[in-house]
Amino acid sequence: MNGPILVVDDEPDMCWVIECILRSQGYEVVTVLSGEEACYQLANRDFFFVFMDAKLPDMDGLDVVRHAHAIKPGSVRAVLVSGYHYHDDPVIRQAFDEGLICGFLAKPFTHSDLLKALPIV
Amino acid sequence: MLDYDSSPNRFELLYGMLLDAIPSSVLLVDEKLHIVSVNRNFLVKSQRGEARTVGRPLAEVFPTIILENTDIERRIREVFRTGTSVKGQRMTYRAPGVPIRIYYYSILPIPTNQVMLLMEDVTEQVRLSEEVRRVERHLASVVESASDIVLSTDTEGRILTWNSAAEKLSGLSAQEVRGQYFFQFCDSNQQQTVRKVFMLMKSGNESHTTEFPLVTSNGDGILVSWVFSPMKDDYGQTVGAVVVGRDLAERRKLENQLRQSQKLAALGVMAGGIAHEIRNPLAVCYSAAEFLLMDNISTEFRNECSRKIQAGIQKASAIIENLLRFARPSPDTEMVQVDLNTVITETLDLITNQARVQQIRIQLELKMRPILVLGVSGLLQQVFMNIFLNAINAMPDGGVLTIAEEISEAEVAVHISDTGMGIEESDLDKIFDPFHTTSPIGKGTGLGLSICYSIVQQHLGSIHVQSSPGKGATLTVRLPLL
Repeated sequence: MNGPILVVDDEPDMCWVIECILRSQGYEVVTVLSGEEACYQLANRDFFFVFMDAKLPDMDGLDVVRHAHAIKPGSVRAVLVSGYHYHDDPVIRQAFDEGLICGFLAKPFTHSDLLKALPIV
Repeated sequence: MLDYDSSPNRFELLYGMLLDAIPSSVLLVDEKLHIVSVNRNFLVKSQRGEARTVGRPLAEVFPTIILENTDIERRIREVFRTGTSVKGQRMTYRAPGVPIRIYYYSILPIPTNQVMLLMEDVTEQVRLSEEVRRVERHLASVVESASDIVLSTDTEGRILTWNSAAEKLSGLSAQEVRGQYFFQFCDSNQQQTVRKVFMLMKSGNESHTTEFPLVTSNGDGILVSWVFSPMKDDYGQTVGAVVVGRDLAERRKLENQLRQSQKLAALGVMAGGIAHEIRNPLAVCYSAAEFLLMDNISTEFRNECSRKIQAGIQKASAIIENLLRFARPSPDTEMVQVDLNTVITETLDLITNQARVQQIRIQLELKMRPILVLGVSGLLQQVFMNIFLNAINAMPDGGVLTIAEEISEAEVAVHISDTGMGIEESDLDKIFDPFHTTSPIGKGTGLGLSICYSIVQQHLGSIHVQSSPGKGATLTVRLPLL
């Protein structure tokens, strides 16, 4: 397990929720509220896992992930968290096909759903 | 040429010629009602020879039907008896094979103990005046049959005619209003304006178009669209005015239906943003509730969870309330004092979500103080909603939506700019046309901006667009300040 988990969501309460769930399981968490901050974090630090909101005020969540993949190929494992998309959304399927994300979590979600998205260490 | 100067009976010849030259029929009749002499005109008109006419009784020369209808023999005897002439009687005469002729005749006593029967052919004049009457009747029936109000006034605005539609709509009969000033039947706020329009028409040629209520017999106001036109005589002098008015109630009803359906279509466009915005607080509540179910949590954390749940529910509820407010039909109420800044910010609340999911930054440059205009806030909200959604649709890959206000002496201008694809020059003058759309089928109805246009016009404002392809577009809504 290399580094903390990055939580990206422009809604502070969403960050609070995910952070609480993960911390209760003993994970270290970093939260950011924008795409730009996320890019900065991903470029300068290694994260064990990323929970990425799909729609950020400045960028699309998938673009942030795409950007991170370009800088550090193969190092980013991300789950897209979204209230905008649904499971069989063509956009989501394409993101899976491209290998951008390894999971999708629709809001609202149960705590076990969120934890199940994490890779087994 | 006849040398009548040297003829002994030259006067007889002269008067014979004069009589024959008169374009009327002249007959001399004696006391026995025999014809003593006739002029040429009579012989031509009656298609008779002189021999079959002179010396014959009147009853033989005139057709029985004329004798019976005009009772001319009795009249002639009356003139012989009283010595008083009969003037300007009408006679219809049809000689065999000739179209009907109409005469005016006079019976004049002359001192030779004879009477002169003078018959003038007025067939053509009668035909013309009947034609004039027919045209008049036709015009009157056009005006009467019109479903629009049509009235005429003198130059001062006093009512001369008032058609059935005006009677029906106002509940006031033509007799009641004739001679009254038209402005008396106009909404009290408009009376001054109407008087001014009549003043302008006295010297000008232009028609004036406006909308204001007509006051009916029971004191209600009916909204009417008016056109005032000066009426000119052959010399170009204004001799009065024609006022045409159309009841707007039916049109307003249709407009309202159209606005409502367009509004629901706009709601569809916003659906994505709304889903996103409501699911966030739902997700927070959901998780916080799950935390509350856990054992061994601190009181502090429990309280925090409760607060998050409350805040989340409030947030979702506020979004729903905004939506409801927008979706609800705007009653066509009176215009009231409205703060434009409130209208704009409340509308922005509804589309912020949509803007966010498209990575559109909203730059708001509103004045700090309230901007008061006269309007219906629901309708104005629809105007800005349509413009904002258009701007957002023009920026599928993100951009900046700028809303800026500019105040001048009498009006406020709201500039709404996007950094999107812009509008082709060929489309610029069409964008306010109903059903004009560049969106793919199913994406836009093409009604949004035409509805904006009609609403802004109803608010006595104007709406303009400025754009060049690739450089975004700016829509400017101008409204008169209170």
